[in-house]
Amino acid sequence: MTTFKSLVTATASSLVLGAAPALAGPVMDDIKAKDSLICLVSPTAPGFSVPDSQGVFQGFNADFCRMAAAAILGDASKADIRGVGFSDSMKTIVAGEAHMGSRSITRTGTRDADEGLAFVATTFFDGQGFMVPRSLGVASAAELDGASVCAEDGSTTLLNIADWFGAKGMSYRVENIADKTARLEAFFSGKCDVYASDVTALSADRQLSDTPGDFVILPEVISNEPLTLVARPDQAFEAALFWSFQVMLNADSLGISSANIDEIMSQLDQKTPAVQRMFGADSATTDMAAKLGLPADWAYQVVKQVGSYGEVFDRHLGADTPFGLVRATTPNAHAADGGLMYPFPIR
Amino acid sequence: MQQSPPALPARRPDWLGAGIVGLALAGLALLGVNIILNMQATGVTPGYGFLAQTAGFDLSESLIPYSSGDSYARVIVAGLLNTVVLALASLLLATIIGVLMGLVSVTPSPAGRWVAILYVELFRNLPKILVLLVLYVITVRGLPPVRQALSWGPLHLSNRSLYLPAIEADPRQLWLLAPFLLSILAAWWWVRRARRIQRATGRETPVVLVAATLILAGQLGFAALAEVPLVVSVPTFVRFDFDGGARVSVQFLVVLVTLGLYHGAQIAEVVRGGILAVPTGQVEAARALGLAPWTVTRFVVLPQVLRIVIPPMINQYVNLIKNTSIAIAVGYSDLMSVSGTIINQTFRPLEMMLITMALYLGLCLGASSLMNRLNIGLRNRSARNVS
Repeated sequence: MTTFKSLVTATASSLVLGAAPALAGPVMDDIKAKDSLICLVSPTAPGFSVPDSQGVFQGFNADFCRMAAAAILGDASKADIRGVGFSDSMKTIVAGEAHMGSRSITRTGTRDADEGLAFVATTFFDGQGFMVPRSLGVASAAELDGASVCAEDGSTTLLNIADWFGAKGMSYRVENIADKTARLEAFFSGKCDVYASDVTALSADRQLSDTPGDFVILPEVISNEPLTLVARPDQAFEAALFWSFQVMLNADSLGISSANIDEIMSQLDQKTPAVQRMFGADSATTDMAAKLGLPADWAYQVVKQVGSYGEVFDRHLGADTPFGLVRATTPNAHAADGGLMYPFPIR
Repeated sequence: MQQSPPALPARRPDWLGAGIVGLALAGLALLGVNIILNMQATGVTPGYGFLAQTAGFDLSESLIPYSSGDSYARVIVAGLLNTVVLALASLLLATIIGVLMGLVSVTPSPAGRWVAILYVELFRNLPKILVLLVLYVITVRGLPPVRQALSWGPLHLSNRSLYLPAIEADPRQLWLLAPFLLSILAAWWWVRRARRIQRATGRETPVVLVAATLILAGQLGFAALAEVPLVVSVPTFVRFDFDGGARVSVQFLVVLVTLGLYHGAQIAEVVRGGILAVPTGQVEAARALGLAPWTVTRFVVLPQVLRIVIPPMINQYVNLIKNTSIAIAVGYSDLMSVSGTIINQTFRPLEMMLITMALYLGLCLGASSLMNRLNIGLRNRSARNVS
């Protein structure tokens, strides 16, 4: 049924467009035919995707939906961002009812083996960590033998803790509390010594205490959570997503942001070859645009309408937000600063 | 008193009933087949093989030895036992509170009646999950953290647990089971003897004291003779927490009190209704015969109240067993919590939900069939007494 429908739209759009680019696949064509890109985010994830007073999703993850719409349709506001629960969003993408998902999905082997989903670009490297009261005088998670640990009931956090303490031969006692209020209350009141969750969640939850300065996040990160964009499989669409993300990373390392992009464009001939290759009229990106079926100025539109990676990170999660994440201290720092964000060459 | 029952009309086949039941069964079968077919279409085959796999997560408390290396089957048993213990303790507490409050609500004292009404209306009209969370937050904030635990000798209380001294487990303690059963038999014999003497001569012999002494003396005497190790372990503080002895977690106590208060209010109403249903004429008649007030309550009112309240109490008990599942909110590892974690890990929601449903169903049906038997037993006994 779905394949039939997308076949029809694919045929229709290739008839309208005349000469369809060689790589363009059914998903890319569907986005252009609808003139809208359906992107799934988590319904409530502070900092990552939360609806604003107009009901429009804002946040770190929501901005990657806008990135895709800016690159493919030339207009970030054409991203149709919808909040859907975790397992439903995977099914919706596999069933072909959405084009992509930007919702903190950890890329794992078994998930990647599913043929209905394509993992594209890791936008955020998270990991599970521990938070303790400063008064406990603990500097490393290795000193936690015998401690009580609060964690969300039913989550993979429980498994990671069991694995970690088991591998170190350390004992612990778990407080697996489902209700978030009760869980945080238990930690802030000293019912448990340690609070375990994803590091970003730890720094967000710490803000809910009356005295956030009384709690420290320990340096150990006990699990790898590469949170990755997922797409419905389509080579052109995947390439467009991947390279849009690379444009944001490259802009980040070249010091280009939505604030100064117009100024840079006005004196492009004085800029370095790397900048010219990204934004020039006859450059690597225009060549890619022709092959992938994107607007010629897609790289400019991504940076102008959404911003560089660092800009998006700081806007939603940075030091001026309730999260107070300092990007340089996370694995999401630029590769040159010892992080994992490594810009691929655009040429 | 014997009356011949009115002649029943000849049994005719109940076509309408059979039709309704048949339709319901056919609908369920259709649903089941549809689910299985849909699962197969997406490449999922229902199966229970996962039960033998390693669970990989720990529990806040367990009555049987359990670690994260054990199987899903074992963690389900551990969760089920936690639910059963919580249910039994809450049943007892709710019944005690409910009977007391029910009695207070019919006393002639207006103050007593007001207290009972206030209590019943407060707890009957609040969602239990709200009561639970409020009690939890108050307890966790109100009690000191473990480093400043309140101590009374070997007893300690913090917002984490209540710590008690305990007798260290030893396999040789199983030998105590034999004298335990023997002394219970002896106590039972003594109770029957006391009852026989009372019936024959009206003379009362001490029952409770002798029975308790028999049971206790039998135990300790045997333990001393056979040198069964009874080592007392006392909780002592090490680095993060108390070690040794026994502990009762604060979340268990909070859920226990919540369910006790919530269902206590409902049971109080049941008991009040039961007492009011005994015709006043009977009490007046008993008093006119010169019976003492306590004797009137014990032999005229209570036997009738018991018969009236048992059917609604079955309902309360079954509700209470199901309501233990709110414990998940505050971190008591009950059946519901264990089942949710297993579903999240194995992505076998259908199988796990069926197991969970079957277990809750078993618990509730077991409880109500026990209560029904008690009800029938009471009815037969009073029928015998009347005839």
